[in-house]
Amino acid sequence: MKKIIRIVLISMLIVCLGIVSFGCSNAKDTTNQDVTNEKTEADKKEETPKDPITIEFWHTYSDTEEVIFNEQVLPLFEEKYPLIKVEATRMPYEGLKQQVIAGVAGDAAPDLMRMDIIWVPEFAKLGALTSLDGKEGFGDVKNQLFPGPLATNFYNGNYYGLPLNTNTKVAIYNKELLKEAGLSEPPKTFDQLIEVSKALKSKGKFGIGIGGTGPWGSLPYFWTFGGRVTDDQFTKASGYLNSPESIAALEKIVELNNEGLIAPTILGGEPGTWDGIKENYLMIDDGPWFYSILGDEALNLTTPAPLPTDDGGSVSVVGGEDLVMFKTSKHPEEAWTFMKFLMTEEPQTIMAQTGLIPTNQKAASSDEVLSVPFIKPYIEQLKTAQPRTPHPNWEKIQESLNLAFEKAVRGEMSAEDALNEAAQEVDGFLE
Amino acid sequence: MTKKYFKQTWDVFPFLILGLIGVAVFVIFPLLKGIYMSFFEYNVLFPKESIFVGLDNYIRAFHDQKFYLSLRNTLLYGVVTVPGQWVFGIFIAILINAKFIKNKVLFRTVYYVPVITSWVVVSFLFKYLFSDGKYGLINFIFYEKLHLLTHPVSWLQNEWTAMIVIWTLGIWKGIGWVMIIYLAALQSIPRHFYEAAAIDGAKARQVFQFITLPLLKPTTIFVIINLIIGSFNVFIQVLLITNGGPLGRTEVLLSYMYKQAFNFFDFGYASAISVTMGIMIFLVTWGQQKTIGKEKIEF
Amino acid sequence: MSLFWKVVVYLLLIIGVFIVLTPFLYMLLTSFTQDTFSLPHPDELLKAAKSFDNYIEAWRKNDFQRYFLNSVFVATTTTVFALFFSSMTAYAFARFQFPLKEFLFRLFLFTMMVPGVLNIIPQFTVIKSLGLVDTYSGLLLLYVGVGIAGNTFFLRGFFERIPKELEESVIIDGGGKWTIYRHIYLPLSKPSLATLGIFTFSGAWDEFFIALTILKTEAKRTLPIALQLFQGQHATKWGLVFAASIIAIVPIILIFIIFQKKFVQSTTGEGAVKG
Repeated sequence: MKKIIRIVLISMLIVCLGIVSFGCSNAKDTTNQDVTNEKTEADKKEETPKDPITIEFWHTYSDTEEVIFNEQVLPLFEEKYPLIKVEATRMPYEGLKQQVIAGVAGDAAPDLMRMDIIWVPEFAKLGALTSLDGKEGFGDVKNQLFPGPLATNFYNGNYYGLPLNTNTKVAIYNKELLKEAGLSEPPKTFDQLIEVSKALKSKGKFGIGIGGTGPWGSLPYFWTFGGRVTDDQFTKASGYLNSPESIAALEKIVELNNEGLIAPTILGGEPGTWDGIKENYLMIDDGPWFYSILGDEALNLTTPAPLPTDDGGSVSVVGGEDLVMFKTSKHPEEAWTFMKFLMTEEPQTIMAQTGLIPTNQKAASSDEVLSVPFIKPYIEQLKTAQPRTPHPNWEKIQESLNLAFEKAVRGEMSAEDALNEAAQEVDGFLE
Repeated sequence: MTKKYFKQTWDVFPFLILGLIGVAVFVIFPLLKGIYMSFFEYNVLFPKESIFVGLDNYIRAFHDQKFYLSLRNTLLYGVVTVPGQWVFGIFIAILINAKFIKNKVLFRTVYYVPVITSWVVVSFLFKYLFSDGKYGLINFIFYEKLHLLTHPVSWLQNEWTAMIVIWTLGIWKGIGWVMIIYLAALQSIPRHFYEAAAIDGAKARQVFQFITLPLLKPTTIFVIINLIIGSFNVFIQVLLITNGGPLGRTEVLLSYMYKQAFNFFDFGYASAISVTMGIMIFLVTWGQQKTIGKEKIEF
Repeated sequence: MSLFWKVVVYLLLIIGVFIVLTPFLYMLLTSFTQDTFSLPHPDELLKAAKSFDNYIEAWRKNDFQRYFLNSVFVATTTTVFALFFSSMTAYAFARFQFPLKEFLFRLFLFTMMVPGVLNIIPQFTVIKSLGLVDTYSGLLLLYVGVGIAGNTFFLRGFFERIPKELEESVIIDGGGKWTIYRHIYLPLSKPSLATLGIFTFSGAWDEFFIALTILKTEAKRTLPIALQLFQGQHATKWGLVFAASIIAIVPIILIFIIFQKKFVQSTTGEGAVKG
């Protein structure tokens, strides 16, 4: 008897679980139905033009950026396209990837999202994004934009997004310390900067503030000193990352650090760059947000300039955000309309007031944008700035590079060994 | 017998069913799914395109240096913080429970505040308390003011000092939880036990050793098992304080798994790590689990 | 006990209080300070001008007030349902024999041991299939469901310590299992229920990932999401984050104090147990 009851109960449990999984597969059907329903509804709506279609848009704009986006850009769009309503949702930066994954996997992702340029290839590889090449008017849109930022959307022969705004990092100097070092204007070459840094060292100050050993922090110096990560097609690291020039570049960073010319921030020490630039660091590097967030205080205290040149020129790193459309988008046509709109001159010029550098060529050269007080050196620097390896495995490459650089700077490994090791690893990730 | 058995089962059904459904749907189903995923090179967006790889993910973990490093750090965290939280927690609970303590509510509340503060906030707080140079409060107090340190420590720059920061936070935040459970347990011990002991002329230490501790045993098992589970789940503070650094040497299992899943989208491997972890904890606590059900105390 | 020992005990407790509170003091001072994109040096902190500006800004920003109320609703409802379902399940495990009982209990334990970080995606598909995305029902269901195993584990121990003989009086009066559950087990385990209530409440109050995943409409968001929004992509104003965090902690402390009084008064079973 006991046994029978047990069997009955076990089978009940199985049935329970079955219902759950059935519920799931069933749900897929219903969601498909939902999609078709919505489509037919959408068709109906087109016939009766009074109800606007709502598209969802995720972003991570800051407070000030969000205000301007909601109060100036969106009304402009809705005025032009009264039949499309945009529901913009600000997402926290923490755990954002998880949100995107859960959203796409559960068919609850928004139509559009503004995401870090470095994420596009991996989400494209995952199959989460719609390729845009075939969209109506893609060629025209493409021609209005800077090719560099646009290229960050390219994966496997297709474009999976449009560059919404771009940025880079420039050198930011403390005005007082510049004077103290006897310079009337920012140094043009690294030799000059190193020279004055040595003099500052005796006063307990640091000449060069590097944000960290991670690629975003250290690549501008590595590149400027003549280093390279991969070939131009991003297919191979061996022979580039561990070339004599690259080794020399990393060695130079290590040496400068050993001499005490680089601030402790390179290994995560304190004070941080934003605090250090107030009185202790002659130079740090950062993006335009340094000025848009800190405002007048920063403008009074510091002066921005392109990175000083060295063997590799003056090479900074490209950052920014791309606008992508998810494959699960319920209203791809309307979403595309909004994408195109955001690439045009007017909205790009408006957003530039917050320090977001336009990707639209006309907007970037307009007087209105150039009159933003800190923006010129950034636009100047962008001409030579390079992207981080645009590859779906970037996160892994980043970890490898970070480890190699950190090992070298901490003196646990010679620059040569560290880069040889990393080059081999990165080769594997690039395959 | 069978009739009674059947009746009992029938009686218990309404009490049990909702809980069972809840657990089955929201915990067991995802768990099974996780086990399933661990046998695949899992494509999270298009599950149908996943490739069956058998035990490859487990074998990979077996050969993965970083997995072992994370495992070591996780175990170390447990070895340090489980006793740490437990000893301080029970100690404070007993002190607060002493009859003559006046402001019980106040003490309890204060000790409990760290528990209810968000991990994110306290992680950032600790990161800055342990900043290097003269900027961190800890260096400020112990070096500049008390001169207990010979030089300002770069806490987060070295493997072991960084671990100390993570451990300290774990203990600091967990004490209040242990305390509160023990206080609840101490209060549910009927007073006549103590009265009887007092009549027999038992000393405070004897009362504690022969009455309080044995009566607290179920609570202790509960607390220890939960602390062990909690220690395996150490995650947010590592992510936010060191992010695995310096040189990836403070990585723990969950932070490693999280990276595999949400940075590298390798859900199969992440699931394998997750399942391995579950089995490990299950085995570690196996002996104690048996005693939970059987521990009956007759008052 | 001698005066000496009393003093020692008090001293120990007060030292402990200092250790616990120092970080918060630092947090509190920072929250009164402006320009805190990097955390200020302890010396500067004492000298810097103090103001409530951060609190005012935090309260007004990011729809903080609305999220605050949402969180009150979500955490309260979660606590009520979780206590109800968990205590029923725990009662079943503590006082009944049924097939697979120990197996199920072990299964419950096992689920607690496998980390739940990856569960979010299957959980989301379940909520989605129930049509509950972007609803509080979905969120509550998930919060309550996820907690049941652990809560049952917690309560079972306490329930088993309640003497079975107490049930007899109810049975003599002709009461059934429900009466026993309601009139014996619930009232007698108030301290443990209160403790569990606090855990559940603060857990729901603090939870971030699940809430963000399930709730899509900005207006429905809960407090931890708002707190995260204070942290920028490029820079964070710590004074503001800490001010917001302190506002977020206050209700839990209040609830804690209220609940705590409940279980201080109800030292169980003084007379009842002897019976």
